Amino acid sequence: MPGMAELTGDSLSASLVRAAFLAQTRWKALHTRTARAYLQYHALAASLELFKAGSVVPWVSYLFPTEILTSHGLTPMIPEVGSATLTGSDLREAVENAAARMSLARDVCSYHRTALAAVENGMLPAPTMCLGTTPLCLGKECLLEMLATRYGVPFREIRVPLPPDEGEAPPAVVAEVAEQIRELHEDIGRWTGRRPDLRRAVLLSNRAAKAWGDLMAERLAGRLELNGRKTFAIVFLGQLLWGTEAGAKDFERLLTERGRSDLVPPAFDGRRPKRLLWLHTVPHHDHAFFELMEKQGAYVVFEEMGQMHQELIDPDDPWPGLARRLTDHTLWGTSARRARLNIALAKKLRADGAIHFNHWGCRHGLGSLPVVRAAFIEAGIPFLAIDGDALARGGPNQEKALQQLESFLELL
Amino acid sequence: MPNAYYTCHLVPLGLLSTLGFTPKWLGARLPHQTTPRRDATTVHPTTCPYVTRLVAAAEALLEERPPDDVLVIAGGCDAMRRMGDLLAAYHPERTFVLAVPRASTEHDVRAFAAELVRLEQWLKERAVQTADAAATPTASATTGAAALGAPDYPSAPEPGGVFVVGGPMSDDSLLELLSTLGAKVAGLESCTFPDRWQPLATAGLDALPSDLSALAGQVLQLAICPRFSTTLRKAHLARRLEQTKASCVIYARQSFCDPGAYDALLVAELAAERGLPFLELEVGFPLEASGPLRTRVEAFLEAQLLDEDILGGDFLDDDLLGGDELLAGDLLTSQREPGHLPEPGPARSE
Ligand code: SF4
Ligand code: SF4
Repeated sequence: MPGMAELTGDSLSASLVRAAFLAQTRWKALHTRTARAYLQYHALAASLELFKAGSVVPWVSYLFPTEILTSHGLTPMIPEVGSATLTGSDLREAVENAAARMSLARDVCSYHRTALAAVENGMLPAPTMCLGTTPLCLGKECLLEMLATRYGVPFREIRVPLPPDEGEAPPAVVAEVAEQIRELHEDIGRWTGRRPDLRRAVLLSNRAAKAWGDLMAERLAGRLELNGRKTFAIVFLGQLLWGTEAGAKDFERLLTERGRSDLVPPAFDGRRPKRLLWLHTVPHHDHAFFELMEKQGAYVVFEEMGQMHQELIDPDDPWPGLARRLTDHTLWGTSARRARLNIALAKKLRADGAIHFNHWGCRHGLGSLPVVRAAFIEAGIPFLAIDGDALARGGPNQEKALQQLESFLELL
Repeated sequence: MPNAYYTCHLVPLGLLSTLGFTPKWLGARLPHQTTPRRDATTVHPTTCPYVTRLVAAAEALLEERPPDDVLVIAGGCDAMRRMGDLLAAYHPERTFVLAVPRASTEHDVRAFAAELVRLEQWLKERAVQTADAAATPTASATTGAAALGAPDYPSAPEPGGVFVVGGPMSDDSLLELLSTLGAKVAGLESCTFPDRWQPLATAGLDALPSDLSALAGQVLQLAICPRFSTTLRKAHLARRLEQTKASCVIYARQSFCDPGAYDALLVAELAAERGLPFLELEVGFPLEASGPLRTRVEAFLEAQLLDEDILGGDFLDDDLLGGDELLAGDLLTSQREPGHLPEPGPARSE
């Protein structure tokens, strides 16, 4: 298998290696025919295009409404996805070394630290524009705006007021956010000189959202059990593909048994497994947690972050629908709101417990922890918070976290 | 008058006074480290020391003070916003979280004005319940450092000295340390120092009953702190460095602070562009200006004296070394386009 370094170069040989590697990944997708393998292939193919000379590279926040990019034929560069991909590749050591040399404080979110090290060292493509959203965290806005300043490219931020603790964001708030998205869509067209086709992007996004929404509804109703650790990867990579033809087809593959055959929960030889709700991000490269769970007869039945894009957008008036995905996003809002929604989720799933992954440097997630934990305890749902780094493999925290997890699973 | 304990000088203090509350900075009311805490309100250890200590302070005050005293938390960053969430969970009637935008566009001013209206309503509802709600606010009630409990310059800043940048500072001990070591202070950019809070101290005294938009605009013009828009912050800091004719820069960064982390990078770049030596220190809250911090500041200042005395100020511009003085590390960490060598910059110490 070629190295990422060869894949991301701009020379003729790099493009030949790229073509060969993509062919391999495609072959794997064709062979397994699972949604996950296809998503991987399409996400990789789209991302590698960003490395070509002259590409328009929009660095965007994780929750950015990417349909306004695909409307212009653009692929987003999401720092969190970029960092997770690089640290899972043979560029891991190079990017870690680059991050270690960097003078940015080590206590910031490691997704962002890694992304900065990567772009400064040619392992991720430099931005043509940086587009943020106030949800979910301030750290990524700091990163995006700093990059925009360094590279002399435009920065825009969609400002999204916090939703109320109960109920939906008021229509006036949704209208204001919708207007910001509309203006930004226009700006992107002006900056790139490309003609938009938002209707097509929304229709394709809706196909994907319908498939994903149906699947999530089945899971919530208890009619379908999937491995939440694995479904996490679907939305995580899927963020690059909303509004594309490939994305629509890949999400639709989830509706067939074959398409989701690599998402099935582990087999437990007739024992009733402990079903856990996973909160926040996951350790992308550290399988020890999930292996331990499996050994102890437990698995992740549902992931908080999978709750994305389950509603359809009106193609004739897309702005309010795109806005509502931000204003009412389940992870946005106060800690009390996050606690309330997650407890409702755990009850609906009849989960045996919840695990909060305390990702290194995430003020948003860690900050809400005391309130979320207290609410779970009050609701009588077993709750464990484990410290870790989503990009780490092993590391100093792992052993302690594994011990905590083991005791927790025993108690369940 | 009841007290309104606030966390950040972006809260228009005059507005608090006008509505019958005495503004008091929470950072000046820290309980002793050993004061017992509820487990449930203990924040994660990777939270900035400022928020960590303010949560403890707020909890202690809300326990011991009369129920009319309130908290006004400026939720300008994730940590502070979550602090607001936490205290609101336990003291919903006494905690107000004010959302503060990161820029000062028309949209931001509108959004912030709406937040101020919300704050006004909230305070009015509470002020009605107090006996002396009609007490007349005065500018003097809010303008003195002592009244607020906010730190001040120990002596007036002088051009040509050390320019200090930081987040919230509990006191003037870093400035005192610089002066003890014989260095002048050219200026200070910190959340808690006079250049920030003095203009804001009276903000809002005459805002009511008029439109709060003007007040919102005023605060957002003044509030160019580390969590603010990078573009505006960069221009602001560049101006401050020029105005104060700084000779070197010290950044006192709170650990576990995202805005501070990115701001320190920005300031390091501004210093490098101007050929100013730069030192980044990781500090806590309260700030401990003794021990290792003192040693590092001392070494930093001494290194500059050495440069000036022995090598002459223009050493780095000399062609003597033909550019070989650049270390491989500089090349690797270069934040410029590939193919461009980094300009010789200051040593960065951490
Ligand atoms: S993990 Fe937290 S800090 Fe990092 S990108 Fe996500 S929300 Fe932001
Ligand atoms: S800006 Fe930094 S120092 Fe200030 S409260 Fe937020 S995290 Fe703490």
